[in-house]
Amino acid sequence: MATLFTLNLVTPRAIASLPDSTKGSPIRVPYLNQPWKRILSPLESRRMQVRAAPDRLSEKVEQSIKEAQEACSDDPASGECVAAWDEVEELSAAASHARDRLKDNDPLENYCQDNPETDECKTYDN
Amino acid sequence: MAVCPVYTTQSLNSTCSISTPSKTHFSSHHNHLVFYRTSKRTSKRGGSSSCVITCSAGDSQTVVIGLAADSGCGKSTFMRRLTSVFGGAAEPPKGGNPDSNTLISDMTTVICLDDYHSLDRTGRKEKGVTALDPRANDFDLMYEQVKALKSGIAVDKPIYNHVTGLLDPPELIKPPKILVIEGLHPMFDERVRDLLDFSIYLDISNEVKFAWKIQRDMAERGHSLESIKASIEARKPDFDAFIDPQKQYADAVIEVLPTQLIPDDNEGKVLRVRLIMKEGVEHFSPVYLFDEGSTISWIPCGRKLTCSYPGIKFSYGPDTYFGHEVSVLEMDGQFDRLDELIYVESHLSNLSTKFYGEVTQQMLKHADFPGSNNGTGLFQTIVGLKIRDLYEQITAIKTAAPLQATKA
Repeated sequence: MATLFTLNLVTPRAIASLPDSTKGSPIRVPYLNQPWKRILSPLESRRMQVRAAPDRLSEKVEQSIKEAQEACSDDPASGECVAAWDEVEELSAAASHARDRLKDNDPLENYCQDNPETDECKTYDN
Repeated sequence: MAVCPVYTTQSLNSTCSISTPSKTHFSSHHNHLVFYRTSKRTSKRGGSSSCVITCSAGDSQTVVIGLAADSGCGKSTFMRRLTSVFGGAAEPPKGGNPDSNTLISDMTTVICLDDYHSLDRTGRKEKGVTALDPRANDFDLMYEQVKALKSGIAVDKPIYNHVTGLLDPPELIKPPKILVIEGLHPMFDERVRDLLDFSIYLDISNEVKFAWKIQRDMAERGHSLESIKASIEARKPDFDAFIDPQKQYADAVIEVLPTQLIPDDNEGKVLRVRLIMKEGVEHFSPVYLFDEGSTISWIPCGRKLTCSYPGIKFSYGPDTYFGHEVSVLEMDGQFDRLDELIYVESHLSNLSTKFYGEVTQQMLKHADFPGSNNGTGLFQTIVGLKIRDLYEQITAIKTAAPLQATKA
């Protein structure tokens, strides 16, 4: 059921039209029988994706540092060593950008930028 | 000379002058037939789509600025200050690749030159080449696309994904009023250099770079002081060979050095920043202190202004830089209060501000950005205003020229 987690807009109709359910058979709604297989709401799944990016990058940074240290233990002046440390630098920069972006991410602000006319986002200036 | 009827349609705030220059991309006969390419384009955010006639004439109105510095596209503070001078916040293109490096605002589009890598991360590892090496970059494509954007033609620009290290499918970039190309090699290729209307080089000294990288990376698991140092040392040969020489071509260099006000300071919190401005650049008049062309040393703190330790020290004077005549404006120290900033601004001349206090206002608008209390923020803001001035001068010339042509 990996596809469920990548689906952002889950409506009951969409669940019913999953490939497993054939016409005439009872509509199987997974989370009723198996409550641990919760379908993530759009906000939650987005939050999880946002949280995942810096974590993934942090792991990549750690891994790349280990690789660079290995590559340089053989020959510090070689192209491999230099390229490995360059990769560390690139990943560290990307990780720090991701951390900065996470800091500025206010869900209400993001929503209101795209939908300024909704009730939550209307501003009354006079 | 045959009479050529010129039809202009005014659509939603877009100034589009249709002229008949000597070389037109779409004219098949040379006797003044200009073909209009209509494209549906949203000119203002807010969803109102209008039909804008894009006239890709020979002489374009896109001003191209180049910004060079280390570490990929980490000059986002500079970009944010620059785009804010023009108004509006620059954001990644909506609905596109979320890992896109491009920033778009109303007037400006910022392109990251990392997108022109010819080798992705695995490719570079195999060949043992850093991203700083020109062998890892496609300068032909860079030149083609920058030239196209400058001439008013939209391009499909590749995307270099910094997270995965791969080259993603291209995104469409429409020609903006101001195009900023930021990255490691904006001035490396001579053809690209000729396309730039103004170029800036951000020169961070080794001690300051080390201090900044420590601040940035110590929060990261896996990093230690040794690994940060090793990373800087390993990249240094390529940096000195390929990136550093670009500073001789820059019209403005912002040099960041450790302070001279605090002896043996190695924290890198107080900075000495020098703005090196080339003389004789078209549409660019250097900022000066008190008297242009003379050498001044100025400490504003005294009876009229009280500053806290270590204070502020300014100096200004002519100099030579790689064989060019330059003017250097230097600031050492940091601002603690608003009135220090206003006091300093009132004594600087040729700032290209539209009203008194504009520099202070811009600095306050982004008081949370790094460098807002020292010369880095101040000089970045000033360079932003200079670029605005340059843009206005260039567009004033471009709109005046067709009028003269039709009169002839």
